[in-house]
Amino acid sequence: MISQLGQVLEALLAGQFICQVTDEDSYRFLQSSANREQVESHLAILNRKLTSAADDQVYFAAYEGIGEGERAALSKQFEDVSNHLLPLIEWLLLVQESLNKDLSLSQGMNIRLNELQTVIEDTPAYAEQLNKISRYAMFGSKAAELDAQLKLIFKRLVELGYLIKPNQDKQIYTVTGKIDYLFDVLKFIDETEQLSLAKKAEDAMAQTNLL
Amino acid sequence: MNNNLKKAGTALLNALSNHSELVMQAYFSGSINETDHSPKVIANLLDLKILWRPENERNLRLRPALRTLLEESLQDENTRQIDANIGSSLATLKTLSEHYKAALNQGRFHEAEAQLSEVTERVYSLTDMLATNVRLIWSRISNEFGYVSTVDAKIRENELAQSQVSELLNQLELFKFDQLTQLSGSHRELRHLLVVTLQSSFAHCIQELSLAQSKLIDLLGRFREFKGRTRLLKGFVLHLEQRPDFKPTDYSRLSKVPTLFNVADSLIKPANIDVNDVSQEQEWLNIVGKMHNINRSQSTTRSSSNSSPLTMQDTAAIELAENKLKVAVEAFFCEVIENGKNVTALDYYQRHQLDFDPEVWLYQIIGGYHGLPEQDKAFFAIETQGQPDPTFSGNYVISDIEIGLH
Repeated sequence: MISQLGQVLEALLAGQFICQVTDEDSYRFLQSSANREQVESHLAILNRKLTSAADDQVYFAAYEGIGEGERAALSKQFEDVSNHLLPLIEWLLLVQESLNKDLSLSQGMNIRLNELQTVIEDTPAYAEQLNKISRYAMFGSKAAELDAQLKLIFKRLVELGYLIKPNQDKQIYTVTGKIDYLFDVLKFIDETEQLSLAKKAEDAMAQTNLL
Repeated sequence: MNNNLKKAGTALLNALSNHSELVMQAYFSGSINETDHSPKVIANLLDLKILWRPENERNLRLRPALRTLLEESLQDENTRQIDANIGSSLATLKTLSEHYKAALNQGRFHEAEAQLSEVTERVYSLTDMLATNVRLIWSRISNEFGYVSTVDAKIRENELAQSQVSELLNQLELFKFDQLTQLSGSHRELRHLLVVTLQSSFAHCIQELSLAQSKLIDLLGRFREFKGRTRLLKGFVLHLEQRPDFKPTDYSRLSKVPTLFNVADSLIKPANIDVNDVSQEQEWLNIVGKMHNINRSQSTTRSSSNSSPLTMQDTAAIELAENKLKVAVEAFFCEVIENGKNVTALDYYQRHQLDFDPEVWLYQIIGGYHGLPEQDKAFFAIETQGQPDPTFSGNYVISDIEIGLH
């Protein structure tokens, strides 16, 4: 059997994000600084280092030194991230609003697909929004039925590591730490580009309140 | 025991059980409509102080004491009332203890006993109250104020709970154990109640409350974080609505790439099984075992347009070739009839230089003979030539067949 260190290294080198939801054992392994050093020394051979985001809730491998090749890879990745940003954010808002939890998704939350589907089916505005989201290149759905659109979106999100399906037979999904990473990315963009997104949202909400 | 009080208490409990529907209705809806029930029942419940009328012209409501009893017994999560009146409880305890000590000193033992049971009751109700309050706070924490839906409401609920916790903690400071110790003096029972019981309950309560306090602050932070996140999401969507062409600068081109965007590419590919390693044989077998033999039925793949048109053909020619052996056997039997002499099968075979396998020829002759109708069979006599098998007894090896006419 492969050791815990081996498992962690394999996941990191495969470009995966390790959080408590995806792999609790590996995550706990990385909590100890001695283990982290061990992992670092192995990763260093392959020009990689261990990085964490979202208050150490997710770990992933980053490049140690960045040359031409690495920069090209990062550039491509960044393009993916920025293209995925809007569809993901709209999806997050849709889930949040339709489940009426008023809580934005974060690591460890469960989404019951059936529950979500019932609400979206009953609310034309949500159905329309779902249709719009499923048409983005990120999901690329051509299906006209709501059921197929929803399933495709969830399947894609599992592929991208934002969700996991703990039980293959049940349509219940768990949010991974990569969502928290996404929020970090959003916060970073907000700060660097000086968009003051939160203020904008508040102003808009204040306006609707006035109406 | 006071007989009148006992009777009245039983009557009260009976009334509660007789009108349980009405009481629960009042509990859930807050008030009851008098016109729905008979005036006699209402008057009875009012007499027993189960219901009361807060103001003239208002609907009847449950007495707060009864409501509290129900909330506590049912562990209803809607209850948010924290009774923090520890100061007055402690003052009562002090007074009662003084009564007890005075009664003891003056030798009024019956009275002292009654006072002691009163003190016991008060102490236990005080500890119960503390435990209930702690449980109430924790139950609200554990379902994260699930009874209100919006984050704003949760934040307000959280603030309320925090103020209640600090209020409780302030009240707990009223516990002056040095005074209580002095008060209980050398009386063993009193000391046990006022010092030991109260102290353990106090310590437990303090510990739980400080835990609850930190948990509440944690939760508040989380709720604020959620609120911030929602604002962030909505703000981003709004921003893109205002500026659809917005694209963040490519941070990966910066000389120092921010850690967030420095995500290394996938490097590793799954390894393969070593077919020469015996220890991996089981996995290997499993993989092989999962392979399916795919039998595609041809008829399903052939489409109707591809099928050749149906043509009528003479199939006789093919049949002839197939039955060459049969024809030869028939000729053999005919020759036997024509010549009227005994012929061995192998003789005939050599004379006509037939090109079948000799053994097949022999089988076919035997088969041909047995295949004849009973009537025809009677014309022929069949004799087998051969010898018993040298090795296996009971087996007879036929080397030739002689056929003649009867």
